[in-house]
Amino acid sequence: MNDALSGNGRPDRSHVGRIWHSGRHLLPVLALLILTFTVFAITNPVFLSRGNLQLLLTSNAQLWVVAMGMTFVMLAGAVDLSVGAIMAFLAIMFGMLLNAGVSGGVALAVTIAAGALLGGGVNGVLIGRLGLSFLLVTLASLTAFTGLVNLWSDTMAIPIQASVTDSIAFGNFLGVNISLWIMGVTFVLAQLLQNRTYYGRDVYAVGGNRQAARLAGINTERTIAFVFALSGTASALAAVIGIGRSGAASPTVDNNVPLEAIAAVLLGGTRINGGSGGVGGTALGVLFLATLGNGLSLSDISSYWQQIVTGVILVSAVLLNRLGAAR
Amino acid sequence: MKPSHVECAAAAVRPSGRANLLALRGLSKRYGGVHALRGANLTIARPGLAHGLLGENGSGKSTLLGVLSGQHQPDEGQLELAGRALAFHSPSDALRHGIAMVAQELAVAPDLTVTENILMGRRLARSGFLIDWSSSRRKASRVLERLNLDYDPDWLVRDLRPDQRQMVEIARAISTNARLVILDEPTSSLDAGEVKALFAVIESLKAQDVTVLFVSHRLNEIFAICDSLTILRDGKTIVEGPVQEFDADSIVRAMVGGEADQRVARGPRPSTGSTPALELHHLHSTGCLTDVSLSVRPGEIVGLCGLVGSGRSELLECVFGVRDVTGGAISVGGSPAHGGGPHGAIRSGIAFVPPDRKEQGLVLSGSVRTNIMSVATAGRNRLRHPSKKEEDPVIAGLCTAMRVRLHDYDAPVENLSGGNQQKVVLAKWLARKPNVLLLDEPTRGVDVRAKVEIHRLVRRVATEGMAVLVSSSEAPELLDLCDRIIVLSLGRIVDVVEAADASEETLLRMASAPGLEAPTAGREERSQGI
Repeated sequence: MNDALSGNGRPDRSHVGRIWHSGRHLLPVLALLILTFTVFAITNPVFLSRGNLQLLLTSNAQLWVVAMGMTFVMLAGAVDLSVGAIMAFLAIMFGMLLNAGVSGGVALAVTIAAGALLGGGVNGVLIGRLGLSFLLVTLASLTAFTGLVNLWSDTMAIPIQASVTDSIAFGNFLGVNISLWIMGVTFVLAQLLQNRTYYGRDVYAVGGNRQAARLAGINTERTIAFVFALSGTASALAAVIGIGRSGAASPTVDNNVPLEAIAAVLLGGTRINGGSGGVGGTALGVLFLATLGNGLSLSDISSYWQQIVTGVILVSAVLLNRLGAAR
Repeated sequence: MKPSHVECAAAAVRPSGRANLLALRGLSKRYGGVHALRGANLTIARPGLAHGLLGENGSGKSTLLGVLSGQHQPDEGQLELAGRALAFHSPSDALRHGIAMVAQELAVAPDLTVTENILMGRRLARSGFLIDWSSSRRKASRVLERLNLDYDPDWLVRDLRPDQRQMVEIARAISTNARLVILDEPTSSLDAGEVKALFAVIESLKAQDVTVLFVSHRLNEIFAICDSLTILRDGKTIVEGPVQEFDADSIVRAMVGGEADQRVARGPRPSTGSTPALELHHLHSTGCLTDVSLSVRPGEIVGLCGLVGSGRSELLECVFGVRDVTGGAISVGGSPAHGGGPHGAIRSGIAFVPPDRKEQGLVLSGSVRTNIMSVATAGRNRLRHPSKKEEDPVIAGLCTAMRVRLHDYDAPVENLSGGNQQKVVLAKWLARKPNVLLLDEPTRGVDVRAKVEIHRLVRRVATEGMAVLVSSSEAPELLDLCDRIIVLSLGRIVDVVEAADASEETLLRMASAPGLEAPTAGREERSQGI
């Protein structure tokens, strides 16, 4: 009788089965997203309006971009706590450049390059090349950059009137808001880097087993330095988006940014120790957090509830993933 | 082909008129689509026996041990201990009934003392709310005495050798007054001398009427220590009985089902004229190697034999550039090797299969594809796009050569059996077509059939002109595989022998340099060659 049962005990290897298998880590967050979306769509007539949906997305453009960078850091098995401080630092730098008479386009390019350099050159080199703990290094750079920003800006925000930032926040291209374009392009680039390059494979390998990756001849130091450069680049982009939305370069360091980004990445099914997951899940994670925040505020529920719900769901989603992994 | 004596085997072991110490009957267990056990039996007649459990990787050994130690609950089947039917719902259930398991991966806390490790699990002696250290220490000492071990209970486990840590785990197991101790591959990371020490402990357990269930892939160990054994295949018990009823051939046949012919014909001898593919000149590395010179010609398989600490692993690490060389020179294919770590070594055509596939050999969460292709593509521009069209034939070719049957190259390697994982490690190095292949414990923890296939493959790549340098703690493996064997002791080369002229005993004698305790030489070996 046992033998009769075992006859069809072979794993499903059809094409559909394979896609199902590889996308399994997306299921919990996808279910959550659909659930919250449906609940808010039914309970609140304003929720589905074009204006609200656009607001839902654009108000989370910064989180989206930062979370894309954070995904690579976490796939490689690390975490970047310094993104909030680096964002504030770069925002002030952008403001200073404009005040010094540099044109908007050049300031934008310099800021983004500086983001890559700060992330890769400071966090990346200290963690990748010198082998220091990522928690130690990113915590230290969070603190140091916070101090630098306050010294440099004298804790004063810099009001900014520039066509670059205005058009990022409010401009349209082909009828779609520029922030949405930025989100889309960031996602596509991240997806390509992750799935269609050897570099993407390196990131997974380093996160999965750094020692094995090194013994296979992969340049693990460079791989790690690069993920922090990516995170720094994402912070720069997010800083500029933030300036566009608020009309000023603020020296306030928002340390919720890295935490929310980490939450989005984890919700999206990326393993906390690295090596599996990806930007697809992160996109769903950000969309879920965005929907939850937007829906709750539409329903006049305190945003503190959003934090409580996020915490509970974060743990549940990870537990769900683990149950799924154990079969 | 099923042996006909399966049904009567259990009955044969049982002495008439008395309940068996332990009887597992008709165990069945499924995990999703995987049928790990389908009617497995295991009988141990009386206390004080050492019982061997054998089976290839994936034959259901771990699941059976899991059921016995309370980690898994069987879907069907009974467990009887001294005639009483029992069901364990947790490891502490099993412990209460005197069954303790020493896992394959060491589960000691390195920064705690021997006492704390032995009495782990809230068993330190107390006075009131506080821990009574002196009586805890006495408690631990008594357990160590039972095992004839002269360890100081205050030693930190960190400072112990692997075999000593293993002993601490065994001490922990018997400190719970276990009547049955399960040892899951306790010898896989021990050298011959350490195995001897372990066997002495097992003997003293037997003398105290403690039963030992012993799992090993090494048949000579089974013959040396076990009184009876059980062989599993595909989740079923194929045969069990007193060890005298078996010889190496019948065990291997029962394990693999009679398909694998395990001897591989020795290939043609390498030509002697060609330039060495790898040459070491007076190599020094502080603390592990002294004045090591050797050369390996293309097509030659050279073995490195030695006890743990002899420097055989360290030698390979030096060649591969992951350990600092402090003197001497390495030349590859006639030209001096220029550093650059593993990356540089790979570029000069060296491949290195490390001893620990889970820690060093594989990205377990990665797919078969990315693991196999990782070395071959490590030198490419990182922004290039990996092409499945280019990769699929390479992977398919390697899998055929290795006899790995895979349905899905994109599935994570952690789902594969140990033997197949080891083949993937080899495949990822062969994908780059190296000139020099360094192997450290190439068949550690793999089953007999995978071992034979890995040996066959190594021999084949050698006949195609690769130079192979293999380090192994198993003398039979070196004798079987190599043309020439270099014996190391305390970081120096002490002898070089033609494999054809050497025997297990001579190798072990040479490996234990003067002043060291002689390892297992003298024990009568009934097994060989696998």
